[in-house]
Amino acid sequence: MCAHATAQATGTEKGRAMGAKRILTLNVNGDDYEVVCAPNTTLLEALREKAFLTGTKRGCDLGACGACTVLMDGEAILSCITLAVEAEGRSIRTIEGVSDGGELSPLQQAFVDHGALQCGFCSPGFIMSATELLAENPHPERAEIQRRLAGNLCRCTGYVKIVEAVEAVAQGAEGGAR
Amino acid sequence: MRLPRFEYYQPGSLAEAVTMLSQVPGARPVAGGTDLLVNMKHRVEQPAALVSLTRVSELAGVRLEDGATVIGGGVTLKHVQHDEGLKARFPALTQAASVVGSYRHQTMGTLAGNLLQNTRCRFFNQSVEWRSVRALCYKAGGDYCHVMKKEGVCFCTYHGDTAAALLVLDAEVRVEGPDGVRQFPLAQLYSGEGKAPLSLGSAEVLTAVIIPDSSATDGDTAGGSTYVKHALRGAIDFPIVGAAVWRNGDATRVAFTGVDRSPLRATVLEEALAGRALTPAVIEEVAPLAPKGVTITRTTVQPGSFKRELMSALFARAAGSLL
Repeated sequence: MCAHATAQATGTEKGRAMGAKRILTLNVNGDDYEVVCAPNTTLLEALREKAFLTGTKRGCDLGACGACTVLMDGEAILSCITLAVEAEGRSIRTIEGVSDGGELSPLQQAFVDHGALQCGFCSPGFIMSATELLAENPHPERAEIQRRLAGNLCRCTGYVKIVEAVEAVAQGAEGGAR
Repeated sequence: MRLPRFEYYQPGSLAEAVTMLSQVPGARPVAGGTDLLVNMKHRVEQPAALVSLTRVSELAGVRLEDGATVIGGGVTLKHVQHDEGLKARFPALTQAASVVGSYRHQTMGTLAGNLLQNTRCRFFNQSVEWRSVRALCYKAGGDYCHVMKKEGVCFCTYHGDTAAALLVLDAEVRVEGPDGVRQFPLAQLYSGEGKAPLSLGSAEVLTAVIIPDSSATDGDTAGGSTYVKHALRGAIDFPIVGAAVWRNGDATRVAFTGVDRSPLRATVLEEALAGRALTPAVIEEVAPLAPKGVTITRTTVQPGSFKRELMSALFARAAGSLL
């Protein structure tokens, strides 16, 4: 209807309407996933419910808690307020793509070594935010770590051990980030 | 919380985006989505269609035009705060961009989106369940305002950070719509109404923010600009009150956000400062004038008296840092 008319009026392939469900190809952790999504499907819903990558957590679902943080083209974003259609053609990295086979990344190992998690629900979000930070700045100061992790909420740890874990990697004690 | 259903368009150019916005009934532009998608999840905004601006290349980049600094509407807040040129010349803007929400919001959100964010109220920005115990508020489509306790009014408050900074930098905005391009001072972007806070046509796109060269300061002792905010949680929250101050020699400009239906220049305060050099004694003398002429209502849980005190305190802190 109007969508079709608009696509015709503008005469471009890119401008086609996407009101109905369509097949998206999402590149997640280097693998292509073909998922059927409506425009109102968020990236979080596509990851958890279509690609069955449930490591990324649904917390507040309103962009406030950071539990759903994933990397899109290397930048940490909130997948619960990102549309899945916007992620097409981009490179997505989730917590499932951080470890190498069965081996934890230095950052994940630091979380274990420093007791930086209790219930673990917020940990994927923290790991993704810290992964972005360490990729951009391998040796951040404590204040920078705190600022960059500030949008991730944790109700268990009190944050101190999380910051210490990231700091340990930043100081090279854990062999650097991956 | 699922998003409501909508049609989705992804134009590749500005002209295409404007055409779609003018032809598709109920279409709204969206870029970062950090404000609009949350409101849609709460069902307080339910556009029939979204036109994504993320692939519109004309909205990207920071450049100079005849000496003025032009920032594309699609430039992210993360990019704004890390731009060395902007940091050196317009520190109030880069400071404001660096305290919007969390770093993730700054990565996703754009400068235009931050300026165009909807006004907020403790009765409006709530889930369907939370709101269901009361009559639908006026802004959400009902008749009654729970803040003012009467019908047909809305005092929803503007809480954007970068608008206050850009007001003291005398910025203009450029919008493009079906009738062409127009450019006007940032203050005119805001209607002063809580329910429909913007004076933009439904098919108009904010393409750029223009800051005149005369607002640039080089950080010497006679000039500078800064933005300070107070929020419940520094990590994530909107400002309860935000204050921007610009100073060059004896000229001083002051703006606030979080206090009224639009971000605004503190005209009474500025008049009291006209032609006077900023000194600690002058700041202390004029600071109580900060809330004059501002309509503060209980759209946040904090009482108006607290906000008025905050305005004076934040002005004093911001101005003091520029001495």
